[in-house]
Amino acid sequence: MNRGVVYYILGRFLQSVMVLWIIVTLLFLLFRLAPSNPLASYIDTTFTKQQEAALLARFGLDKPLGEQYIIYLFNLLKLDLGETFSYSGKSVMDILRADLPNTIYLTLSSLLLAYLVGVLGGIAMAALRGSLLERVGTTFTLMTRAAPQFWVGMLLLTFFAFQLKLLPSSGIGPAIVRYRWETEWDKLMSPVFWRHMILPTFTLALYLHGLPLLLMRSNMLEVLDQDYVTMSRLAGYSEWRVMIQTAARNAMLPVLTALTLGIGYSIGGNVVIEHVFSWPGLGRTLVRAVQQADYPLAQGAFFFIALIIVFMNFIADILYSLLDPRVGASAQAQVS
Amino acid sequence: MSRKLARISVIAALLALVMVAVVPVSSQSAGEMVPSIIVHSVTQAERPIEYETTRLVVENMRELGLEVEHRAIPWAQLIDEIWYSRVEGEGRAERPFQMTHWRMVGRPERSDPDEFTYNLFHSSVRDGGYNFIGYNNPDYDALAEAQRVEVADKEARLELICEAQQVIRNDMVNAYFIHPLTPQVVNTDTFNADSIVTQAGIGVHNFWTWIGIEPTGDDKTLITSTTSFLNSFNPLEIAGDAPSRVTEMTWDRLMRINPIGVPEPWAAESVVWEDPLNVVVTLRQGMTWHDGEAVQSDDAAYSFEAALAGTTQVDEDGNEEFRPEAPDYHPFARNVANIEIIDDLSLRFTLHTPSAAFETSSLAKLNLIPKHVWEPIIDDLLTRDDADADSIQEEIPIGSGPFKYVAFDVNEFVLLEAFDGHWALPQIDTWLMNVLPNQEATLGQIQSGEMNFLWEWPGDPGVLQDIVNENEHLDLFSAISIGMNYFAFNVRYAPFDDVSFRQAVAHTIPQQFIIDNIFNGMAAPADSFVSAALEYWRQCDDLPTYDFSIEGARALLESAGYSWDDDGRLLYP
Repeated sequence: MNRGVVYYILGRFLQSVMVLWIIVTLLFLLFRLAPSNPLASYIDTTFTKQQEAALLARFGLDKPLGEQYIIYLFNLLKLDLGETFSYSGKSVMDILRADLPNTIYLTLSSLLLAYLVGVLGGIAMAALRGSLLERVGTTFTLMTRAAPQFWVGMLLLTFFAFQLKLLPSSGIGPAIVRYRWETEWDKLMSPVFWRHMILPTFTLALYLHGLPLLLMRSNMLEVLDQDYVTMSRLAGYSEWRVMIQTAARNAMLPVLTALTLGIGYSIGGNVVIEHVFSWPGLGRTLVRAVQQADYPLAQGAFFFIALIIVFMNFIADILYSLLDPRVGASAQAQVS
Repeated sequence: MSRKLARISVIAALLALVMVAVVPVSSQSAGEMVPSIIVHSVTQAERPIEYETTRLVVENMRELGLEVEHRAIPWAQLIDEIWYSRVEGEGRAERPFQMTHWRMVGRPERSDPDEFTYNLFHSSVRDGGYNFIGYNNPDYDALAEAQRVEVADKEARLELICEAQQVIRNDMVNAYFIHPLTPQVVNTDTFNADSIVTQAGIGVHNFWTWIGIEPTGDDKTLITSTTSFLNSFNPLEIAGDAPSRVTEMTWDRLMRINPIGVPEPWAAESVVWEDPLNVVVTLRQGMTWHDGEAVQSDDAAYSFEAALAGTTQVDEDGNEEFRPEAPDYHPFARNVANIEIIDDLSLRFTLHTPSAAFETSSLAKLNLIPKHVWEPIIDDLLTRDDADADSIQEEIPIGSGPFKYVAFDVNEFVLLEAFDGHWALPQIDTWLMNVLPNQEATLGQIQSGEMNFLWEWPGDPGVLQDIVNENEHLDLFSAISIGMNYFAFNVRYAPFDDVSFRQAVAHTIPQQFIIDNIFNGMAAPADSFVSAALEYWRQCDDLPTYDFSIEGARALLESAGYSWDDDGRLLYP
């Protein structure tokens, strides 16, 4: 690896750290300055000043803002996200550690399904260009992309869960089964869990598949005009081989980049689906935390999402520098 | 007839005197325009019914020549703008709040009128407590205090409670308009409808239903859900409606509020008052905790001692401040001066002051907790200042109630099973509550059979009526709640410091229209903080009425000296 690439990666790493620092600072201020009160759920007819003082002390909100910020930053360096305000006896890490896997399962399976259908569909649309099928297919894809996720979710829920009673409507499994899962492995091995995942995965994939499909279709159309594709055809290769081996392989690259970044964005973007299907993931916890003005939990959840997005961007940058020598070279030119 | 007239005129004269003495003089000058008013409520997304009601009333208030803004904000923000912005110069809001929609929910311990009578209006809780409207009336204070200590004579207490309701209605410090009918849906294919108990002021989701509901077949699991938070499983924390359902089943109490709203001995075999300050409680024989240990009088004593435990701290200004370890339950135990253990099953409570509500708001309120589990926890908490009992989550919660813990996943579900060792063994085997944030999913599940008991419905009650009509296996239950919806006025400041102005605003609330159209008939008219569900405490002379009438409101303002300018804007007297 040349020096340019090393400098480039180091530079991008420092940039990522700076971005994260700015994000945590903004998060810290945003929640504290927002007009919302973490004591809202404690107000009762017997609520006293005494109780209020005790709660503020317990949450550390009786200290000056600057001091709270310093404590917060130091704790963050130790990866200690603090105690939640609204869940008794749980740390933010406990909650996020329980939520994150569920969000990842849902995100990855939907992305996988979406990109599989999207890429194949894109190829098919390109091959069928100008036909009635292509027009119908593209219109359908645009519709799924434009339809609000909660609405699609509700429709699927009503039809498959409540009318046909084919699939369960919410959660990751009945409590009676869930409490016996002691590890993530138990959960993953349970058919019940996968059955519960079908509807939310399908809803999310229905929305996500539009991007790779349309991207793949337009890339294919572009690639199909290239000389080397014409050459392949002239060489007598079958249309199938031209499409898959020659055109599709070249058209795939931008789609893969979109996938890398898509993972990051989807982790934080499942809020609506998780709410509709009562899926116990990061997005649902985030909504609850904001509703209850649970600062540490909301900050922690946003921080996690930001961390994943920044990390995925960092990975994409490194991949670029490795795949495209010009990136490293320009960095070296700037250094020297 | 003439005696009645005389009595009314005496009351009216007294009230007039009280108003002159109590209500502070407005700071505005004569002929000045009444400034614009902000009326708060929660958002439409949070509680559509409250939002719509407020919108309607705001429209009507504009007809009085007022400039009125409806400010709908989320609950956590509303607390900032109401609770913490009650006095000029305090809180985050630009100015103290003026008028807000507010809601009190029904809970079993509110079956005694003391909680509302005292905590909503007594001047001692004006600064940091629930009298956020700032009502300050020494005569009312005297009534609220007198009813509290009137232990022996229930009729005398009734008279005091009635008088308190008269004063509040006349002074129009809160404009009550409805007690909701709590709509609940039960699958009567799975459960015998006759075994479902309606508790006065609460509805069918109550302790008596949980222990008495009979399954019709082999399926003995009751499945319910909440759209709200289920973030605690702790006998020393009051964390909201859903967690309260769980704690009341897992932990027994010395007394329980029975279906007609009266406290009766439960874990106690007897509760005997020796005099207004001393009460001897004897526990039932043979009760055990879920871990097999015997329930004894020192556990019962400790349950109160834990609520009283705390440390005294000195702040920067040298003021001493008591910090209770169980801040939620401390107020309910505060009146206990001493607890004496007589034998294994008997103990004597001595109170600081006589309290008519002690049985309801203490003996039937505090959960019995095992001393062998909680003493080490509380002792540890006493040495720390970064945590209190609210922040404790036992790995396996141990109570002595008719249901015991099986599993709890925060904000996901609670699973309980019937406790074989309990003397009141429930008919069902398992009780499950799921958290379903999506209301539509709740509706779908009760219809599909995934859930069989829908107890909480924040949406349009008419929707429930529709699904019950469409599904033969579902029955709708409803009861008038102890809770109520009302508009609260900040009586500290003009124009709401003027009783005539408040009464005029009360005339702009179209009570029947709201009941028929916004609540779809699922509400009863309200005129007091004591619900019609508490029949005993409503045996009073009729309270003043404020019928919906914009003309009436304008006439009232006019007679109080208000006038209007050429543009129709209201001017101060």
